[in-house]
Amino acid sequence: MVAIEVRDLTRKYRQGEANTVQALDSVTLSIDAGEFVSLVGRSGSGKTTFLHCVGLLLRPTSGQVIIDGIDTTALTDGQRTDFRGRRIGFVFRDQNLLPTLTALQNVMLPLRYGGIGRSGRNRARELLDLVGLGDVTHHRPGQLTVGQSQRVAIARALIRAPTLVLADEPTGEVDNETSDELLFIMQQLNRTSGVTFIIATHDVDVATCMDRMIRLSDGQVGADERLRVPRGRLTSLR
Amino acid sequence: MEIFHNIAQRRLRNTLTISGIAIGILALTLTGAMAEHFHAQFEGGVTYFSSNIQVTDDAAGYAGVISLSKIDPIQKVPGVAVALPSIGLMARPGSAGGVPLGLPDTIVYTDPRERDHTRLKTAIAYGRQLQPSRQGEVVLGYDLASEFRVRVGDSLDLPIRPPNANPDFVNHPFKVVGILKKTNTLPDATASVGLFDAQMLLQESLPASFRDRVDPSSLASRITVYGKPGADLDRLADRINASVPGVKATRPTDFVNSFDQGARFTAIAIGTALLAILFGAVLVVNTMLVAVIDRRREIALKVTFGARAWHIGVEYLLEATMIALVGGVIGFAVGAGLAALLDLAGRTVDMDVFLVTDRLAKVALGFALALGVGAGIIPALRAARLDPDLALRAL
Repeated sequence: MVAIEVRDLTRKYRQGEANTVQALDSVTLSIDAGEFVSLVGRSGSGKTTFLHCVGLLLRPTSGQVIIDGIDTTALTDGQRTDFRGRRIGFVFRDQNLLPTLTALQNVMLPLRYGGIGRSGRNRARELLDLVGLGDVTHHRPGQLTVGQSQRVAIARALIRAPTLVLADEPTGEVDNETSDELLFIMQQLNRTSGVTFIIATHDVDVATCMDRMIRLSDGQVGADERLRVPRGRLTSLR
Repeated sequence: MEIFHNIAQRRLRNTLTISGIAIGILALTLTGAMAEHFHAQFEGGVTYFSSNIQVTDDAAGYAGVISLSKIDPIQKVPGVAVALPSIGLMARPGSAGGVPLGLPDTIVYTDPRERDHTRLKTAIAYGRQLQPSRQGEVVLGYDLASEFRVRVGDSLDLPIRPPNANPDFVNHPFKVVGILKKTNTLPDATASVGLFDAQMLLQESLPASFRDRVDPSSLASRITVYGKPGADLDRLADRINASVPGVKATRPTDFVNSFDQGARFTAIAIGTALLAILFGAVLVVNTMLVAVIDRRREIALKVTFGARAWHIGVEYLLEATMIALVGGVIGFAVGAGLAALLDLAGRTVDMDVFLVTDRLAKVALGFALALGVGAGIIPALRAARLDPDLALRAL
């Protein structure tokens, strides 16, 4: 079953008065529900723009982004926000957490805007347990390591039981060991809950741990490879 | 709680902003308390003087004294209900020129029958009222009793001997038999004595060349006239002037109009304080705008996780309001405390000039609230309109 269908997705940015930069150029692809996909490419290849368009943080200049059968480009801003809050989770490279909130409160943050509030506290605790942080629920980000912060971010991405998680360089700021741990956690969550993961990375080693690798180059899909036997470090963790 | 953490996290900047607002509200509280004080005094004056006609001597005699022989002809003027002797003289002779603020301490005689007519009612807090048959007794206004730290049963020499008193200065001991409830207006600064005592003190206050030529039992400072129900007091004053020679009856309206100065003072005081608050508002806007720039990543994260523009806007509005309210509460508390201290210090020199009222508290905190909301709108709108895509890429 197709979870995401991207058709002729184009995104242009204005740069200065006259120049226009084409970050995405007629990208067309589809991703099935439950896939564990990497998005690779050099800096400026369009990875973040792609994630922001699919994550409904950015409206495409043209083209369509269809998620779970819904053409999101036709939605109003408010509908896009609600849709994003309900169905899409995010993990970023760094500074993922609000410094004034505890780990538990950070995980519960999406519930605040979803009108769910404190009733999701138990689920937040379960998710923190799942990522191995059951003992630091009341720590603030300043008291957590970078790896722990990323794990909190992963737990937060899943708090509203989304169908899709978008991660933008989630292992970019951590060492190899922590990177493997984070990837393993995301892979386990993908396997057990069926959530679709799209992980942007410039680390090919990380990308080869996934089921599928999409390479972006100058805003276009340069390669789309299904890895029947993942070759990266993560194989040793399976 | 998140708001408090956010405020605490940018401690220096927010402390400076809160201090700025606190100073503004402090200024509002002090000037407002002064205005409230004068307002209460003026209100009392209006209440009292609008209900009667003050008649003084217009003849060539010594200013400030009227003969009681004028009472009968005044009483006969159509429309007059009652004409009563009144005496008022400085309780601290020689000090009035040096103390421009507050009501001067005054020794007064008020005819007991006035209680049936006047709109300015007083009540005894401690002790009792004067008894007409007794001499050497005094009932003190609340502030005067506080000023001299006397209680019922204590003795007080009146008038108060000035530091540089003339050799012929005399005063007399009075037993305090009662203390009035606080009125925040005229009676608070009065020492009420009986008619005989008041006439004696009035005579003694006159210049020596004049003093010995008058019979104290025929003296009063003025005659207070009350009209019959429904009488137009301004017209009645005109009739008294026309029909009783040698007196000057002042229209109540003229008395009341003289209190316009008080309203002007209040307007100037409040205007000055509002300028200080405007300064505080600029600080809040600046602080919150910087906070929006500082925390654009946080805003973007919140938007990413489903926050709508209004969620973000309300959060920033609440934070600005909280900063302003904290500053407002601190400013008001410090201002009220300072007003109490200054009043305490000024009481010994008859300078009780502040009155912190519930209304002032509501105004001060209301201003702080309005300042927070008003100053928070621009930053809140900016935060709400922040582009999450750009914000997430910026760091």
